[in-house]
Amino acid sequence: MRGRPSLYTSYEQDSSLLNTPVKRFWVGALLATLVVAPFRLSPDLTLLLATAFIVSIGAIGLNIVTGYAGQVSLGHAFFIGIGAYTAAVLNGEPSTTSDVLGYGLDMWIWLPAAGLMAALAGLIVSPLAFRLRGLYLAIVTLGLVFIGEHIFREAEVVTGGVGVGRRAAEPELFGFSFADPGTVLGVPLARDQGLYFMALVVLVVMALLARNLARSSVGRAFAAVRDRDIAAEVMGVSLRKHKLMAFTISSFYAGIAGGLLYTITRFLEPSSFGLLLSVQFIAMVLIGGVATISGSILGAAFVTLLPRAIEEAPRFAPFISASASGGFLTTQQLEQILYGVLIVVFLIFEPRGLFGLWVRVRNYFKAWPFSY
Amino acid sequence: MKVKLMTLRTGPLVLLVALMVLLSSCSGREDGGGGDDEGDGAIQTDVGVTEEPCPDAVNEDHGCIYLGTLSDLTIGPFAALAVPITDAQEAFWNKVNEEGGIGDAYDVNVTEFVEDNEYNPEIQVQKYQQIQGDILALAQTLGTPPTLATLEFYKEDDVVGTPASWWSGWEFEDNILESGTNYCFESMNAIDYAIDEFDVTSVLAVGYPGDYGGDAAAGAEIAATETGLDFLGAVETAPNAVAGSQEAAIQAVLEAQPDLVIITTGPAEMAEIIGGVAARDFEGRFIGTSPTWNKGVLESPAAPAIEALYLQSSPWEPFGAETEGHEAMREALGDIDPNDGYTSGWVWSYPLKAVLEAAYENGDLTRAGVVSAATELETVDYEGMLPEGAGSFSGDPNDTVFREIVITEPDESAPSGVTTIEEFFVGPTAEGFEFTEPCQSAE
Repeated sequence: MRGRPSLYTSYEQDSSLLNTPVKRFWVGALLATLVVAPFRLSPDLTLLLATAFIVSIGAIGLNIVTGYAGQVSLGHAFFIGIGAYTAAVLNGEPSTTSDVLGYGLDMWIWLPAAGLMAALAGLIVSPLAFRLRGLYLAIVTLGLVFIGEHIFREAEVVTGGVGVGRRAAEPELFGFSFADPGTVLGVPLARDQGLYFMALVVLVVMALLARNLARSSVGRAFAAVRDRDIAAEVMGVSLRKHKLMAFTISSFYAGIAGGLLYTITRFLEPSSFGLLLSVQFIAMVLIGGVATISGSILGAAFVTLLPRAIEEAPRFAPFISASASGGFLTTQQLEQILYGVLIVVFLIFEPRGLFGLWVRVRNYFKAWPFSY
Repeated sequence: MKVKLMTLRTGPLVLLVALMVLLSSCSGREDGGGGDDEGDGAIQTDVGVTEEPCPDAVNEDHGCIYLGTLSDLTIGPFAALAVPITDAQEAFWNKVNEEGGIGDAYDVNVTEFVEDNEYNPEIQVQKYQQIQGDILALAQTLGTPPTLATLEFYKEDDVVGTPASWWSGWEFEDNILESGTNYCFESMNAIDYAIDEFDVTSVLAVGYPGDYGGDAAAGAEIAATETGLDFLGAVETAPNAVAGSQEAAIQAVLEAQPDLVIITTGPAEMAEIIGGVAARDFEGRFIGTSPTWNKGVLESPAAPAIEALYLQSSPWEPFGAETEGHEAMREALGDIDPNDGYTSGWVWSYPLKAVLEAAYENGDLTRAGVVSAATELETVDYEGMLPEGAGSFSGDPNDTVFREIVITEPDESAPSGVTTIEEFFVGPTAEGFEFTEPCQSAE
């Protein structure tokens, strides 16, 4: 049916991932650009993009439970933390002198284990969602963050304790270190490039899996639970089963993101996994677009790159001060204000988030030269 | 047939390949680092040293050495001290530049790469990695736990750093250029002093977790055991940003009822604890390690309690002292509100200056050259701010470690709020202590 891309002759075609040639082309072009990008960008920007990719995995996770299945969770930071510490403990140097645990295991063990431990924690807390929904669930998961923070602070053998911290996991897979890749296939790679490709590959795999989940029967069941739980149950969708699945899968994503995220910073401190981190993830989902995978990635990239963009702000607006102590507004204050303002603006003017903006642009060009 | 190959399906592919070739053909990357391998004459350089003059250089014809700063500049517990430390170091290096820089060939810049670590090890590591590729060494790396977190990276990258911290372990590290004695000896001397001056039979240590509070607590425990005092344990407390309040520490002090408390926190937390226990009729004495003091506490409601109960141990004399170095510092800083952060920032900068000069003399201003110059350094001219014998970085730590402290007391009329009441001394415990490894608490 060439030339009539919107005409579907089968369900398969309708629900396929890349249903139009234009999409196929642009996804290919995007991937190609992403492969080339680290060779063109400066090392610190490359690392920032790698961070954005990994954070995207976490944002996709939150979007599965909050966006697709409609179970608002403020506890995402807790699962990120579990993933990060599982990875750090399994990979850490086994040492008799140091007080923190370490088993020196390889990435093929610690990465899945980070996801699985977080998933287990998600499984354990998911019964909360059987009894509660909406605002009540949000408040209860908020409690989870505080419990988690307390545990992370006190469990010094695992976390090093507050104000002290510990080394994070090193990304070494079967003796190959992404942080020190050397020459791969004839191309010499630096640390930032190695981490970038690691993040990119894991993100593509995880995003594809999530997208497949969303368009399968499970995804439709999630949407049914979200849109009207009683109606969903009447249709034979088990609320328990699907809420449990949503929490477990979401936490798995958070765990993977947590484990990988700290391969970039290389050090983690317990107070990082507080409410602010949860709020940032909520912001990613709301700014990016609820119940979309590409929206989660856009949102994560936006929130990750925002601080960097703001660092440049003093050049254009002299009343903003780059130094921490002076001026009418510091860049740090501006950043926090912007999170709030952006959430409000997006919720009011474009509830579909960045993804919604993208859809508008796309539709404009689809109908071009007509306005609708 | 050939025409048929160029269908819509292969079209995008061809375009893609073309795009990739186009994008990959030119690389926008510089090879990392800011330096080049050929230096002026026979001087070797690599990262963080340029032939171009510094931005706003004092000597336009000099090259530039970039030093990084990782300090607690905004919301951390030591911001009130760290900002003056950083300012004093800027003044110090500015004076060095005005006097001809390093070897009359390089100016030193400490203002381009100043980052805020918020006294958080995770942020410290992150910020370090941001500036790592642009600096030769670190003019300041603040805090024991943050510096310990980054230490392995310093070693990997051959970066030498001046700690804004007095942990006993620095003596054993080649990459760290510490000045003055450490918290461990400081507490030992403080206890020896207290035994001579007041009636003391029991000691409690209160401090931050990790190796800042831990080091002082270990020293206190060693001294208490040596002198037969009753050591009542170490109470861990955390900065208010983390712990919320110091109520738990106050309760612990009141329960233990020690005669002497060795306190190793930030200034605000110290004021809160002393104010809190004094309000409940506690009459034991407090001796704080130097980062615990900031004269701002004399304006807090706890001021009367602090004046009555608090003494401060310090690795060097306060802002108003009469030495050549102190005078040079006051002159360089000009009209500022005095604070002992300035004093510390100034003192700490001497060894790095000596190391850079030695490395320049050796003709090797590479990172590796700086590290080896640092390990060979035998004396540092502190211009009288520390006695002779301080500032040896080669040889056995047990022989080279500097063990003397001064004791100061709160004094509203003094420039930085404290005056010296006991000049440099070393007590019998610290004197006889076999220093073979960083002090660790027996707990």
